[in-house]
Amino acid sequence: MIAAILSADTVTVLLAAAVLALLAICMAWVLGWANRRFRVQVDPKVEILTAVLPGANCGGCGFVGCGEYAEAVARGEADVTLCAPGGTACAKQLAEIMGVDVEETWPYRAVVHCAAGSGDRLGRFFYEGESTCAAANLVGGVQGCTYGCLGFGDCTRACRYDAIHLVDGLATVDYDKCIGCKACANACPRNIITMVPFKAEQMVVIACSNRDKGPDVKAVCNVGCIGCSGCTRRCEVMAMDGNLPVIDYDRYDESGFATALEKCPRESLTYIGKPTPEDLAAVAGEAVPDRIEADFKTTVDETEWRG
Amino acid sequence: MDTFIILVQIAIGAALINNFVLHYFVGICPFLGVSRRIDTAFGMGCAVTFVISIAALLSWTFTYFILRPDAPLPAWVWRTAGGDPGTTIDLSVLSYIMYIFVIASSVQFVEMYVRKFFPPLYKSFGVFLPLITTNCAILFACLEIMKHLQDPTKLWGLHEALTLAVGGGVGFTIAITLMAGIREELEMCDVPKPLAGAGISLITAGILAMAFMGFTGVDKGIQRTLEVWFK
Repeated sequence: MIAAILSADTVTVLLAAAVLALLAICMAWVLGWANRRFRVQVDPKVEILTAVLPGANCGGCGFVGCGEYAEAVARGEADVTLCAPGGTACAKQLAEIMGVDVEETWPYRAVVHCAAGSGDRLGRFFYEGESTCAAANLVGGVQGCTYGCLGFGDCTRACRYDAIHLVDGLATVDYDKCIGCKACANACPRNIITMVPFKAEQMVVIACSNRDKGPDVKAVCNVGCIGCSGCTRRCEVMAMDGNLPVIDYDRYDESGFATALEKCPRESLTYIGKPTPEDLAAVAGEAVPDRIEADFKTTVDETEWRG
Repeated sequence: MDTFIILVQIAIGAALINNFVLHYFVGICPFLGVSRRIDTAFGMGCAVTFVISIAALLSWTFTYFILRPDAPLPAWVWRTAGGDPGTTIDLSVLSYIMYIFVIASSVQFVEMYVRKFFPPLYKSFGVFLPLITTNCAILFACLEIMKHLQDPTKLWGLHEALTLAVGGGVGFTIAITLMAGIREELEMCDVPKPLAGAGISLITAGILAMAFMGFTGVDKGIQRTLEVWFK
């Protein structure tokens, strides 16, 4: 008999292998049957579209995640150009899959339309309330300018990509990190952050939101736009909207701004964006410490207690 | 009636006294991961209960007939092969791989089922449905059943195994739903920065576990009451 040739251990091993193999076959058969029985008809386009999208699930397109956006695109309800992190390349691929033409799109990035550091803001009062912009915005007279950045960092907290920080009390975008998800623009209670199509690494923007007349602006800010309309006369893509110039980014052409930039009496018309090679060269010589030593002061030492 | 009392004891024991999550600390990943909202938490609890029941059914069957030391199948094979009746063939080494296999397959099955018939539930589960595969609560239930199939003199029947599984699943549902309720309230609270997020969740889970220690001894009381009833 078999038992005479094989020991009990060998039979155990063989039996174990046989049992597992049998189990595998049974399970595979059951799952295969279930796969056919419970098949869900998914538009194959959705899967391809989802694969093309970046998968950051940032919500910048207005949908819950990349998957929802892909479904909306497949249904034809959403535009293919809504994905800010994916940019032009992504929009092109989406358009190709959907079989539609796409105009060239530009990456939209957040721009803070205010240039006033804490020293430039006049008429600022000591504010003891909750230190959020949303709360401070409800209180009149936190600072003279009722349009500009409040500097309590709602945008910084809204940003999931560490791309906007308070520099000297002013929200400043780090364009190396910004993906254009619009979270900061939604968080800003004064709506001074807008999304601007970045057609170049450096864009000309109007860094002021104050719509008051010149003297009123001068009374509350050292750098705000006084609405002299000098730039609009020198540059054809700019136009006055009340007391504030606006740039028509559809017709944006960098060469037209040269004289306008030069003649702006305030610092309101300015370049922002990633640092240029010249900027980097200017700070290249400065020594960057290899290691930052901690100073053993507690954070409580200099904290100003509020409320 | 003895059987009934034992079943009640097993169920109460698995659901409350030795709650899988709060007493044995198994199944913590979905317990913390899907306990943000009550409705998804309850759905997760139901899915785990379902999978745990299927897994218990299959694992009891396999263990009883194949894996336990005196299982009929290996013995029959050994006899048919003409082996010496004195030696036994013990396949219990296969238990872990077999259980994982069974659990993974039934999770896959449940995922297909839910996707077909409950798409919103499928969406809210997201990545956590496949995670049930590695949910130690289910493996724990299988191993607990195996433990009670080792001693040939007092073997667990299928009814006892299923009661343990369903009880454990209900216990998991209770624990995760309680946790979700507390965490929904916590959203409104001003948690100190260093404790926010995972920290306060784990503290909450710990306090919940301590609260569940209060159930210790309840089974004895229930047993006495039932015995008096059925006398």
